[in-house]
Amino acid sequence: MMRYRTHLRTGLTAMVITATLVGATACGAGSRTGADDATAVDCDYTAPESETTVNVLAYNSSAIDPFTNTMVKSCTRDEVTLKHDPIDFSGQVTKTTATLAGDSGSYDIIETYGFAVPEIASAGSIVPLDDYVTEYGEKYELDALDEGMRSALSFDGKLYALPMQAQMYVMAYRQDVFDELGLTPPKTFEDMIAAAEAIREQGDIEYPIALPMNATADVSTIYQAAMNSTGTDFLDAGTPQFSSDGSREALEGLRSLLPYMDPQVTTFDQPKVQQQMFNGTAAMSIMFSGRMNDLTLDTNSKLSEEFAFAAPPSLDAEAPYLFSRLSVDGWAIPENTKLDKDMLFQMIASSVGEDASKASVPAAYPAREGIVTEESSKYAVAANETIAATMPAPNDPASAPVTNAIRPVLVQVLTGQTDVEAGMQEMQRLAEETVAAK
Amino acid sequence: MRRREFAVLIGPSLLVMLGLLVFPLIRTVQWSFQQVSYGSPGVFVGLSNYTQALSDPRFGRAVFFTLLLTGIVTALILLVGYLVAVGVNGLGRLRPYVLGSMLVAYVLPGVVGAVSFSWLFDSNFGGVLNLVIERLTGQEFLWFTDTWPNRVMIIAHTVWHLLPFSVLMILAGLQGVPKELREAATIDGASAWKMHLYVIIPTMRGIVGFVCLITIMDVLRTFDSLIPLSPQADAIGNESIMFYVFDNAFRDGSQRLGLGSAVNVLSIVIILICLFPFIRDLLKEAKAKA
Repeated sequence: MMRYRTHLRTGLTAMVITATLVGATACGAGSRTGADDATAVDCDYTAPESETTVNVLAYNSSAIDPFTNTMVKSCTRDEVTLKHDPIDFSGQVTKTTATLAGDSGSYDIIETYGFAVPEIASAGSIVPLDDYVTEYGEKYELDALDEGMRSALSFDGKLYALPMQAQMYVMAYRQDVFDELGLTPPKTFEDMIAAAEAIREQGDIEYPIALPMNATADVSTIYQAAMNSTGTDFLDAGTPQFSSDGSREALEGLRSLLPYMDPQVTTFDQPKVQQQMFNGTAAMSIMFSGRMNDLTLDTNSKLSEEFAFAAPPSLDAEAPYLFSRLSVDGWAIPENTKLDKDMLFQMIASSVGEDASKASVPAAYPAREGIVTEESSKYAVAANETIAATMPAPNDPASAPVTNAIRPVLVQVLTGQTDVEAGMQEMQRLAEETVAAK
Repeated sequence: MRRREFAVLIGPSLLVMLGLLVFPLIRTVQWSFQQVSYGSPGVFVGLSNYTQALSDPRFGRAVFFTLLLTGIVTALILLVGYLVAVGVNGLGRLRPYVLGSMLVAYVLPGVVGAVSFSWLFDSNFGGVLNLVIERLTGQEFLWFTDTWPNRVMIIAHTVWHLLPFSVLMILAGLQGVPKELREAATIDGASAWKMHLYVIIPTMRGIVGFVCLITIMDVLRTFDSLIPLSPQADAIGNESIMFYVFDNAFRDGSQRLGLGSAVNVLSIVIILICLFPFIRDLLKEAKAKA
């Protein structure tokens, strides 16, 4: 028994050391908030008399952090503390739902995005910002925020979130491979397949195309981008469009790419697609622009110098738009916050100013016009081309629940478990049920 | 012990149990009969949530997979755990170090261990085990999208994660077997195999039962490891009950807390059914000792 106690003690010591190391590592990984090197800007609000804490909900990413850090650093004063805890995107989505419910919430400023705005705005959970924009537009130069991005964060003619940055699809490809085979960046899915066949024939890369098609999230964005290329969206004035010709073309187009992608592509999120590019196991990929900066860093891959960037292709030569989605991020103020909304607006307005926007480049594509130029990054030209030819993101309160409802069927269609026609009808049925239940 | 002293000593534990166990349990049962969204009072919907869960083929698949995983993992944990414990028991001065290093798998946060484990099979991140298995069998396995290869990977991870606990427990049990019993069996001419089967294992039946109990509870609650190990769990029938609850009640801002609560109540029933023989044995043993 004595010997056993000795073993247990040794084992527990090892356990404690390991747990401490893991804990210390985790703490270090999450502490990205209020970075010392954040940009300092004027944040000129009237401070309340009593001590106040402003809780900020915003997920951590290299594109969002510059804006969050600027706000936390610039607007914190002796009596006013801005508090932002690190969180991932999925956590933000869950916490947004929870904090906006009921008469009081845990957060006073929330980061949100175009896809979510209609649902929470129509529920009256966030406040319209138009009056504040009128009052403070000149002071914070809000006219310089892109009109299209403001529109993406509007609902029913009112602005509900102040845009900070946007992401759109950009194609990254291996310039060396393309040059060697005499290929040019594809303009249509057909071109993409032809390029993939040429690359495969060369023998070095078996699966030349990489798209984020993770079955639990990205796959619906990819499908929506393909539909958008044809000029259709999931919903048209609240009516589901899954049995439309645009839906069929999108599904058939995506399925035509599958033989040139890794067989496990429905488990690939954007980091995994990046990894395929880093490893050299794919020669062309399409992801949101926020992921492109990583490809240009030589610390991530020895191939970083070989990557070039272009606007993504269209579904076919007749398609009116590119295969892309415009996702706009912005700051919103919850209706149920107990703090002065005028003060909160000035905080968010200061964080989307020119200095903060400049600091966010090249990781982000700021909403402030004129910040991203051809010299900003290796993919700036591609991003500018894409944003000009991306279908304007229509807003509908049912978009988010409809997307959740149809996703499992969409995966079955793309993996060949269900045929296109039957899948379209099933998605249409599910979407109609979801819209009716709203 | 005086009554007041007893109350002071037991009071804090009782409060914690009431707050963290009893109250949430009552609320879960209450919500299972309601349609509930965040921040608003529930609306009574009778058995609707239960009907919805029980008529959903996806829930049926989740129950099947969870029970399959529990059965296979528990059997493997007992078998491999016993063999490893016997091996470790025979070690000399190396024993504490072997035990200490084994515990790393157990104390690692579940999702961290699962991500690392998934990389062993993921060619994007090296995929060492994938490479070895492909070389040995000459076959390519789709570990993340084919049902059975994915199940094998999930089972392997769960066993790897939970094995150290069972080894530690069984090792303690092995060291508690009286020396005289072993000596008597040896004098009677028992082989090593018979010694384990008829002497050692029956002597530590209580510990084996306890290991089973804890393993079954742990495996029935499988959740976070599936996020990296089975990114399309639902599509390939490898979704656990807890994952099903999360997906329905919380994911992407979903607010079906009533349905989630109903599935939780059903899960409690399933867990109790699975654990009934072990709880009964433990109670019997406790009574006999009293």
